Amino acid sequence: MDYIAGYIGRKASSATNHISNLFAFTYRIFVLIFQKPEAGRALVRRISLEQVYFTCVQALPIIIPIALVFGSMLIIQFTKVSGQYDLGKTMVMLIVRELGPVITAFLVILRSATAVAIEISYMNLFHEIDAIEMAGIDPMRVVCLPRLIGITSAILCLFIVFDLVAIIGGYLIIWIFTYIPMGDFITQIGKAITATDIAVGIIKAIFFGIAITVTCLKHGFSVKRLITDIPVGTSKAAVECFFYCLVINVIISILFYM
Amino acid sequence: MYLINLVDYTIDFPESGCSFNKMNFALSRDDAFAIIGDSPDQAHMFLKALAMLVKPVSGDFYFKDKKVDFSDYRNLLPCKKKIGYIASDSAMISNITVRENLLFTRYYFDDSLSLSLDETATKLCKNFGIYDKLDIHPGRLSSVNLRIAIAIRELTKSPDLFLFERPEDFIGHTNFDLFTEVLRDMVLTKLPIVFISYDKDFIEEFSNKKIFLKDGTLSIG
Repeated sequence: MDYIAGYIGRKASSATNHISNLFAFTYRIFVLIFQKPEAGRALVRRISLEQVYFTCVQALPIIIPIALVFGSMLIIQFTKVSGQYDLGKTMVMLIVRELGPVITAFLVILRSATAVAIEISYMNLFHEIDAIEMAGIDPMRVVCLPRLIGITSAILCLFIVFDLVAIIGGYLIIWIFTYIPMGDFITQIGKAITATDIAVGIIKAIFFGIAITVTCLKHGFSVKRLITDIPVGTSKAAVECFFYCLVINVIISILFYM
Repeated sequence: MYLINLVDYTIDFPESGCSFNKMNFALSRDDAFAIIGDSPDQAHMFLKALAMLVKPVSGDFYFKDKKVDFSDYRNLLPCKKKIGYIASDSAMISNITVRENLLFTRYYFDDSLSLSLDETATKLCKNFGIYDKLDIHPGRLSSVNLRIAIAIRELTKSPDLFLFERPEDFIGHTNFDLFTEVLRDMVLTKLPIVFISYDKDFIEEFSNKKIFLKDGTLSIG
């Protein structure tokens, strides 16, 4: 019994320590946003834009078909019960409020978060971070800050793309390829969507972006000595990111809709 | 005025089993130290300590007579910027091109991305034969060319102190004479250097003092 209690205590203590470290790390990066040194702005801007390109633009060919599949699939299912539920409201509830942010975050974790974790681990392991420091440059400013800005902006953009494609694209696919009656679907969506839905989407995207970036960077920087630590760290980062996103999603939904 | 002054400086490097206990070391502007020691790991670690890449267990590090605060890595950055460091663990940033690596510090501190290599860097790149490879990523360079690019980056950063490890191996024997020539010009400007080399002629030519490392203790000769 003592052994089990000790094990649980150690795990809880380690988890609390890890979460505290993540918050401290987030704080460190956030402070950099509000500091405005003259040096490095152009470089930070370029790396941020590159990150937006890698995370958002390059993900479009993947997220658009997925959004179309989800949108049309949900419309088909909900038109069957349209007598019982408001189709527009149901779509807004499912896609804009819940599925959109989560699927977008999931795709970003699969594509970019793992890539960032590996990249940072590699940079750390092979002394590239030391090389940046030897140039007199703060790695937090040229490595962490642009990735935070880039990934968060990319998630926000992808989330908007996902919602639009899932709703409008899904509607068009059903309208073109089937004879399923959908009534005045777009008007229903227009009536159902509120400013809160849009604000919640933006808030979720921002929090997901922060959680994903910080978790991946933290795990990346934790790799110090062995190359075999890179896959372990990456896998931990991906799982943690997904878990944190789900938790954040639930908390924000409870705060705004309950 | 000392450029670097280590007082009761203790460092521990458990992975390689090396440590220095309460060492004292002072380096002035016209010093050129050759490190002589039985253990390459220990010599490398000493070089790393001078480059502020190892956090001390205890003791004081003075850079240009100002005490360096190791509690926050950001305090070290202005000092590190003034140190040229060529060693086995020197690296280039792999996700940008060689040209961008050579310009990285200027990109940052001049706050502009529309810069071109200065005359010295261009000349060195041409002389060392990597000028046509500037627009590829470091990972695509051969190991010799990669090390040459690192050396050029460090040589052109206008350091106040130059630390280098086994240049005869790092640069490669074919380019060693070129490196020696560049270094000779730099040393003429009274640039302090600390280096590890197994080339006796090189040691004789470039050092005016020697650091003997044995069992974690340091003596100057």
